[in-house]
Amino acid sequence: MMPSGNKRNTPKVADWLLSKFISENLLEEFYGDLLEIYDGRISTRGRVYANMMYWIDILHLIFGFASFKTFKRQNNPFVMHKHYLIVSIRNLAQTKLYSFVNILSLAIGMGAALTIFQYIYFELSYDKMHDNLENIYRISIDKIQPKGDPYPYPYETGYAVGVAAKSEIPEIDQYVRLHKYSGGATISNSDQNKTFSEDALDILFVDKPFLKVFYFPLKLGKAESAFNDKFSIVITEQMAQKYFGSENPMGKILTVSGGVSPGSYTVTGILDPLPLNSHLQFNFLLPLENYMEYGWGGAATKNDDGWSSPDITTYITIEKSADIDLVNKKLNVLINKYRNEKNLHEGIIEKASLQPVGEIHLKSDPDVDQGLVRNNGNSLDITFFFIIAFFIVIIAWVNYINLSTARSIHRAKEVGVRKSVGALRKQLISQFLTEAIVVNSISACLAIGIAALALPFVNDIIQKEFDFTLVELPMFWIGYTTFIILGSLLSGFFPAFILSSFKPISMIGGYKLPKPGTFSLRSGLLTFQFLISLFLISATYLVYKQITFMKSQELGMDIEQILVLKGPEVNLDRSNLESVLEAFRKKIADHHSILAVAASSSVPGKGYNTGLGIRKLGDPADADKFGRVVFSGFGLPEAYNLEFLAGKSPVQDRSDLSPVPVVINEEAVHTFGLSTPENAIQEQLFFKGDTFKIAGVVRNFHWHSLADAHTPYLLEFYGDCRSYFSIKMNLSNTQESLTHIESVYNSFFPGNAFEYFFLEDEFNRQYQSDVQFGNLFFLFTVLAIFIASVGLFALVSYSATLRIKEIGVRKILGASTSSLMILLSKEYLRLLMFASIFAIPAVLFWGNSWLNNYAFKTGFSAELFIFPLGILTGISLSTVGYRALRAARTNPVDSLRTD
Amino acid sequence: MENKSLGEFEELVLLAVCIMDGEAYGVAVKKEVEKHSGRSILLGAVHITLYRLQDKGLLRSEMGGNTDKRGDRRKRLFRITAAGMKQLRAVQDVRKKMWNLIPQLKFVL
Repeated sequence: MMPSGNKRNTPKVADWLLSKFISENLLEEFYGDLLEIYDGRISTRGRVYANMMYWIDILHLIFGFASFKTFKRQNNPFVMHKHYLIVSIRNLAQTKLYSFVNILSLAIGMGAALTIFQYIYFELSYDKMHDNLENIYRISIDKIQPKGDPYPYPYETGYAVGVAAKSEIPEIDQYVRLHKYSGGATISNSDQNKTFSEDALDILFVDKPFLKVFYFPLKLGKAESAFNDKFSIVITEQMAQKYFGSENPMGKILTVSGGVSPGSYTVTGILDPLPLNSHLQFNFLLPLENYMEYGWGGAATKNDDGWSSPDITTYITIEKSADIDLVNKKLNVLINKYRNEKNLHEGIIEKASLQPVGEIHLKSDPDVDQGLVRNNGNSLDITFFFIIAFFIVIIAWVNYINLSTARSIHRAKEVGVRKSVGALRKQLISQFLTEAIVVNSISACLAIGIAALALPFVNDIIQKEFDFTLVELPMFWIGYTTFIILGSLLSGFFPAFILSSFKPISMIGGYKLPKPGTFSLRSGLLTFQFLISLFLISATYLVYKQITFMKSQELGMDIEQILVLKGPEVNLDRSNLESVLEAFRKKIADHHSILAVAASSSVPGKGYNTGLGIRKLGDPADADKFGRVVFSGFGLPEAYNLEFLAGKSPVQDRSDLSPVPVVINEEAVHTFGLSTPENAIQEQLFFKGDTFKIAGVVRNFHWHSLADAHTPYLLEFYGDCRSYFSIKMNLSNTQESLTHIESVYNSFFPGNAFEYFFLEDEFNRQYQSDVQFGNLFFLFTVLAIFIASVGLFALVSYSATLRIKEIGVRKILGASTSSLMILLSKEYLRLLMFASIFAIPAVLFWGNSWLNNYAFKTGFSAELFIFPLGILTGISLSTVGYRALRAARTNPVDSLRTD
Repeated sequence: MENKSLGEFEELVLLAVCIMDGEAYGVAVKKEVEKHSGRSILLGAVHITLYRLQDKGLLRSEMGGNTDKRGDRRKRLFRITAAGMKQLRAVQDVRKKMWNLIPQLKFVL
């Protein structure tokens, strides 16, 4: 009877595979069983499942019953291949040290490359989870002032552009605006009495379609209705855990205090943990409509009809068929329509562009994004790492070549005998290629283990969290196998051709190998390895030197001995705030260990409050220059010990606060055209639509890391600053001082979280990414030195083998061990010197361009080269020394008697 | 042969063959074991075990009737041998003896 219907279409390839491996007498029964099960599965679980399980069953049966017909054949090629394999393994086992070094260096090289590839893969995977990825764009609007500085934040679009664009440009489907919760907040779940302070960037106001445009799946709640109420809040799973523990947070109330829009918010959704490879990272989402209506008591949106209100980022989605250039053009036309008049008046040119969401991670600048884009990547880094990975693998293969040829003398007899018995050159090449494949395959397996072990360390160093997800991709395995086969062929061909070219007669009749050339390919490669090692050591040294330099530099202010206390957010008596805060400061200062107390809205290393166009009162509008403003409490210049060049620190005196006093730095004096500090205190400044009087001029200080050049800084004085309290204290009894501060804080501001940090630590945290960079370089350096040492070891072994007779003769004639060691080593020291000739300009070139990232930089000095050279010489000498000593100590009888 | 101990899965397969009394072939044994043990089993595992038991001399087999269900292919029907029965009993005896030694079975409740 014929099989009925198409129901019985079992996967043909699987059937064929089974027939290849299973003996005839079993096949019938197996096919029968398989078909029976297959039909059952189709009717219960569907075809896809049945096909998948069919494959699994087939493979399982093959593993269980295979008689490996292909490998059981007894014809000549098969026997030969089996023989090659056996000989390869025997060879590896025979020379354990060589095999170990060889496999280890290859495995470490490949492992490093794998780790780097995983990193690159992770970096490239950013934001790729969003369904509509290629149609989501971020709007950027460049504001160019022909005379003044350009406005530095192109992604602050204002809230109006999204609305106008959607209604007037038909290709635009949706817009999503984002606004961070300015000022930060204290969030509490009063039922469980849990209160924590949260960072402004972790709380985002978003438009309703946010959860539909971006793929952040909800664990609980509905994406469509999550933001229907203006006082709804969507939180991540971690936050649900933090505020509600095991309780179900849906429908519960979270009280938000402080910042833009305090109030009671109802939880309407719980998000799955956010993917790490997303440029948007947040803990809380609030509806943007809330911000529009209640933000800053309703004042948030009044600025400039919404066309330049700060801190709003706009994303749009466009139709699939839309032409992006056309949309961009239309957007510019639109902006021109609404803004032309005002821009003409102020002399500003505005130009919009659209950035695909997939590009944001690698093509964005943390200074420009103001923190909304988290974990910025850098496409240059990616290229840089790719090149490094490439070189590491190449060098590891070069080492394999060097090591195998170094062993040639041991194989020479084998080759000779094989050739005499009639082996074809083709067969010898197969033999050596098989060896290459064996070594490469073992290394490749080890490499995966090494990469898996290395990833946590690398994560630690570069402060990222990614897993070894590459192994889950079928493409990776295909690629990796191809890569290994290719690598085996590449690294195997050279030794295979060299070794198989030996003449049998010279092989058997005594070791007459080709004379070592003065400068061979091998020493060229070694020089290259030295060069890379030297470069990396110098570069690492330079990175650390720059970090030390930045940390040790005078900042123009004292940040030592300053403890910074985070200010209160909840339960504040707002009617009488200024005097409460003043009383609080007095009470804190009333302790023998406390030297000074001052409030401010930011502290060094934590950024400034606003950056904006500022001009001297009386200058034309288009002369605005960019300056940074810090809202400061009275007494801050004294607490930080700022040095006054003119004027004095303003005191808290209500009669004298209009116009608001500012203290500026020297840089501001130059930038705003105030000629001298003495002259400056006569002048007034104009910004934020208001005038400010200059109360004093201080020497330049480093509010930011030393990577930044001095920029105009303005301390704008207010009595009700309370975000941070800088407390200068005597650190002799920190515990006692802290107890005092905590008790005062709790008595003044009950219900607020008591959080503090030491300013110096916080300030130095700015150098974290530099330290990470240095650590990464250090890692590469260790790797490069290791690989170069292996290469050196291979080469010195090779030359020692070639010169074994020469050494024997020299010994008989009375050469000492030390003179023989010098003889063997000096060649490599020469190569090392040669490499350093190239390394020095390379380091100078790279170092210069790297240091250009820093406004304040350390200089180059001789030790930058002497130190790495010393290290490398030491390592080389010990590598060479070991091998040379062994060669020099051999009994000349052993090496000479064979002739 | 007889000293060879019986694995847990082998025991299950052997029992299933006994239960089916001459109607035991790959898929049927798989279903029977799945039914009683409640876990899902790969066909290959059953076949491997059946053949291993046959090699040990605990099972014997012959090719049986063909059906349309199997695409007109015959099945291999397994039966237990005397040695198999003996081994199975031996296992059972050991268990019984040990169970009896558990005092009162109190703590199992």
